[in-house]
Amino acid sequence: MADVKIGVYICHCGLNIAGVVNVEEVARYAGTLPNVVVSRDYRYMCSDPGQDLIKKDIKELGLNRVVVASCSPRMHEPTFRKACQDAGLNPYLYEHANIREHCSWPHATEKKRATEKAKDLVRAAVRRVYWHEALEVKEVPVNPNVLVVGGGIAGIQAALDIADGGKKVYMVERDPSIGGHMIQLDRTFPTLDCSECILTPKMTDVGHHPNIELMTSSEVEEVSGYIGNFKVKVRKKPRYVDLDKCNSCGDCAKACPVEVPDEFEMNLHMRKAAYLPLPQAVPAAFAIDKRGISSCRIACPAGVNAHGYVALISQGKFKEALELVRRTMPFAGVLGRVCTHPCELDCERGKLDESISIRALKRFVADYELRVGREKATPIERTKEDKVAVIGSGPAGLACAYDLIREGYAITVFEALPQAGGLLSYGIPDYRLPKEVVDNDISYIQELGVEIKTKTPVKNLTEIFNQGYKAIFLGTGAGVSQKMGIPGEETKGVIHSLDFLRMVNSGVEMKLGSRVAVIGGGNAAIDAARAALRLGAKEVAIVYRRSQVEMPAIRTEIEEAEREGIKFHSLAAPAKILSKDGQLSAVECIRMELGEPDASGRRRPVPIKGSEFTMNVDNCVIAIGQAVDKTMLPKELDYTGWGTLEVDPVTLQTNIDSVFAGGDLVSGPADVVAAVAAGKEAAISIDRYLRGISLTEERQITPKKVEKVSTEGVKPKARAAMPLLQISERKGSFAEVEQGFDEKTAIEEAKRCLNCGVCSECFECVKVCEQEAINHEMKEETVEIEVGSAILATGYDQFDPSVITHYGYKKYDNVLTGLEFERITCAGGPTQGQIQLKDGREPESVAIVHCVGSRDKNYHEYCSRVCCMYGLKYAELIKEFTKAEVYEFYIDMRCFGEAYEEFYQHVSEMGVNFIRGKVAKITDQAITEEEKGKLVAVAEDTLLGKIVRVPVDMVILCAALQARSDASEVASRFTIGQRGDKFFLETHPKLAPVNTATDGVFIAGCCEAPRDIPDTVAQASAAASKALSLISKGKVTTEAAVSHVDETICHGCGRCEEICTFHAPTIISKNGGVVSSINEALCKGCGACAVVCPTGAISIRHFNMQEIESLVDGLLEVYHG
Amino acid sequence: MAEFEPKIVAFACNWCTYAAADLAGTARLQYPPNVYIVRLMCSGMINADYILRAFEKGADGVIVSGCKYTDCHYIDGPVKCDAMFAKLKRLVHILGLEDERLRREMISTSEGTVFARVVKEFVDQLKKLGPSPFSSLRKEKVAV
Repeated sequence: MADVKIGVYICHCGLNIAGVVNVEEVARYAGTLPNVVVSRDYRYMCSDPGQDLIKKDIKELGLNRVVVASCSPRMHEPTFRKACQDAGLNPYLYEHANIREHCSWPHATEKKRATEKAKDLVRAAVRRVYWHEALEVKEVPVNPNVLVVGGGIAGIQAALDIADGGKKVYMVERDPSIGGHMIQLDRTFPTLDCSECILTPKMTDVGHHPNIELMTSSEVEEVSGYIGNFKVKVRKKPRYVDLDKCNSCGDCAKACPVEVPDEFEMNLHMRKAAYLPLPQAVPAAFAIDKRGISSCRIACPAGVNAHGYVALISQGKFKEALELVRRTMPFAGVLGRVCTHPCELDCERGKLDESISIRALKRFVADYELRVGREKATPIERTKEDKVAVIGSGPAGLACAYDLIREGYAITVFEALPQAGGLLSYGIPDYRLPKEVVDNDISYIQELGVEIKTKTPVKNLTEIFNQGYKAIFLGTGAGVSQKMGIPGEETKGVIHSLDFLRMVNSGVEMKLGSRVAVIGGGNAAIDAARAALRLGAKEVAIVYRRSQVEMPAIRTEIEEAEREGIKFHSLAAPAKILSKDGQLSAVECIRMELGEPDASGRRRPVPIKGSEFTMNVDNCVIAIGQAVDKTMLPKELDYTGWGTLEVDPVTLQTNIDSVFAGGDLVSGPADVVAAVAAGKEAAISIDRYLRGISLTEERQITPKKVEKVSTEGVKPKARAAMPLLQISERKGSFAEVEQGFDEKTAIEEAKRCLNCGVCSECFECVKVCEQEAINHEMKEETVEIEVGSAILATGYDQFDPSVITHYGYKKYDNVLTGLEFERITCAGGPTQGQIQLKDGREPESVAIVHCVGSRDKNYHEYCSRVCCMYGLKYAELIKEFTKAEVYEFYIDMRCFGEAYEEFYQHVSEMGVNFIRGKVAKITDQAITEEEKGKLVAVAEDTLLGKIVRVPVDMVILCAALQARSDASEVASRFTIGQRGDKFFLETHPKLAPVNTATDGVFIAGCCEAPRDIPDTVAQASAAASKALSLISKGKVTTEAAVSHVDETICHGCGRCEEICTFHAPTIISKNGGVVSSINEALCKGCGACAVVCPTGAISIRHFNMQEIESLVDGLLEVYHG
Repeated sequence: MAEFEPKIVAFACNWCTYAAADLAGTARLQYPPNVYIVRLMCSGMINADYILRAFEKGADGVIVSGCKYTDCHYIDGPVKCDAMFAKLKRLVHILGLEDERLRREMISTSEGTVFARVVKEFVDQLKKLGPSPFSSLRKEKVAV
């Protein structure tokens, strides 16, 4: 570069530089440096004549490099670059030396050394400028659409400013309505104008503005691109209400049975799952709050909507609750009694105190129908040509028939026995499951059109197909009792449980001896034992080979059996049946101990040698299990090694395509709900089979669980006890033991439900919505929008004062946060604006505690800026509307804004007591008569220098404003910075307060720092004007000093891609290899990639290695030692 | 013989430490003229090669300084700088330079006083330590 011509200009800056540095000497020295063709000094280089000096030299002397030594480049580098550019020199061929801030000013007392340092700095600049290259500033067009994130006052203001300016705005709001925190406020200081009154018109404007596309219940998921050209993915959560159809009539909310705390009312009030987010909601439409599927629903094998019917019962909607049960399966009465209720095991309430008595509630609605009488069900219209045969009328078969008839098929159920119901009729005794309950459930199925042919055994499937049935469901159960295989099992007096229960349930008269032993630990064993007692046996004992806790029978059944006097011989097994005169006389048992776990995970019982003992008995019922009776089934079917039917585990299809099976026949002996579930599953398969569509596709859908169940404010309450028949009344009677709940108990019990998923999907809202606006099938969707800039106005979270335990928030009823008090004073709030205590009384005294979580090293060191003023506002309102004494506990009063100080004076004159001191604690521990029944605010009055105890009725905590809990995620999505307190970081606190690290992303309002409404609005307008100015410019110049890859050296290792925060480099395939490619529009020029580049392929333009090393060399070239 | 005056090169990020040095000047805080600031855009841009070059050319001490972790204009430059610095520190040690000759600072925009204090401290420290062992590499010596 032989023809480098450098001009050096030394600024006097009046005496700022020249008063310390010998500028003439520096200029003379500069003239001696290589390639310098001219060097001058001038009083004010930044002035027009100063700049003209440079321009003239460029033109006349043909300078192609310029160095100015003056003030900080942060001040005037742009000025001189522009001067160069004006004179036709590329602005990047300029170098700046800082001889004022870094030389003359800090070394004012060492003039000689300062002059030497100035020479060093100039020399280094000359060395560096030699290597500068002309850089091209690129321009890209700006997309004129703007994204506004957050629908609070900041977002609303910014959106309206931009939209009114004629540009398109996409407003993304997480909640179903815009309004933010401001719409929660009652009045605004210092003018006390109503927040709703001033904000609602603006909200409506946003809702109706032709240039604003409002996306509520939505969140920004991903942001890519760069200033002027961002691509934004927005996840829109379903509202389940069609915004165009909803007319806000509120019928859905009236019909909705689910009540949850209303967030808008700071949980001081309840709302429905179908709700208007706030009275002035924009969009003015209801929303349905779904947080996933409640655990009880997921737990139910048959998929019964337990949450739904519990919610309906809580509202006294018993008929609707029963309808909801029957939407899934027909056995409300049966399963309300005998279900093993997995729902209750998973019930979230159980984690808090005790699970909801879900089964008993289901039973309650079934009983309610029996009590009030049921209208005959309307037969289902047959819409399908095909006929389906169901063989076996137990719960599996009937559940299958029930689902298929509702699909429009013709169904015939074949039953070998005289009564339909299978084990429901023949297995479970009346004291647990009365016959009329079974009959009611079955007749409901029959009324729908299911034909049940009893006393019709089926031996041959072909015969069924010949009758025109296109598919068969086999649900014939596991109907034979398993044998023990011990000597004497066939002795008279020994009976197997199924035979025994069948006789009991058919009303066959039986004569039992006075001592009965029952072998086994399942429900059949307990049923047999309790039935034996009712048939007149004096002593009944259950012999079980494992320990009592391992009994598979329902726990409450075991407990009741014990209460009825049944003895339990656990860890014992019969070894031999002894007889006398051909009649059973005793059972010889052996004691067992628990050994290693077996396949079921339970410890295997092992006989203890020599522990035999004899029980003298008259009868023995063997209830050790049931098996499938293969002799009754067609030969052509496949069986498993367990003797059960072999089916596809998902579709329940047998080896014959048109034959499906489920229930005990497939699973072996299981419970009723499992059988119902299998019947339903088979019904799906049969329907698909008959319609000729895939049996497996989209079959198993994983339900979305509720992530976090809110238990806030839930007071412990035990579950309702089931009323039971007196023990004394049970002997000799098969009267039902469990008596069921009355209406009051049922409602109370149902109200304990936590409504985990919020919406229970009972669909009552759908029934009442005349506009047909509700659609529970709505799905989440992701839309992509393109914008040129974005304004983040995501607001703040209120600090949770419960972490400061000594303030007693959430411990004492009348300790409130500011936002809670806002709702209390609001006319539309939970108390209709009456300032009152939890018990409804008007407070006689109120303490307002400032700086709760702010100005506190333990929480937030910053001042939240609004608390002093809203604290004063509360005092004003309390004074105005009540007779209460008010105490303001403050550290400093900060009333800095327009008319704020005047408001402070006004409130002071109302007779409010100001106590300077931070409250140490709030306590209900009275030490004087006066403090009794009050909350005592204890503080040091720092003006008096003594501890004060102020008894009050109500305490309002002025809780800090803090950054949103997800601020970090939002910051990383938009690649902007955060301060230590997590608020978003502006580019410059004074001069660029709404700009961020990402060009084209602006911030406004409390997401940047706590601020009041006037400042927020001003800042929002500032952000809007930044966005508009960008649009108005129409194009943006990209940073020229960006990263650059020498593709001849790069081997595409990808370290640059890994380190870059802004996603500028990507590894691409090129010419058969891989290299890094920099998206210059995304590159910020931070240089991190060049540092990690192992080959030196990456350099930063204007900051390359040659330039920096020349600069360093220049600085150190002369040794002053 | 005149007192030994160490030469210090301070690599500073444009947004925080360079601005802090500007602020020190604006506030007329006085510190010895032994320090030369090299303005880079980010502390994450500071390459180990620059620092080695400074030592090679006879610097008696080097300061590496940028924003604090939460103030970075480029979000996470200080973290990247830390990674570079940790490796460099070991290398400098192996080269036989005293550990004290290399300082890592995080001086934010408003900390002009911190900047002035650090320079003063460092100059005093280096004076005690004496010239860099690489001072013999200096090409030219000009007595003032």
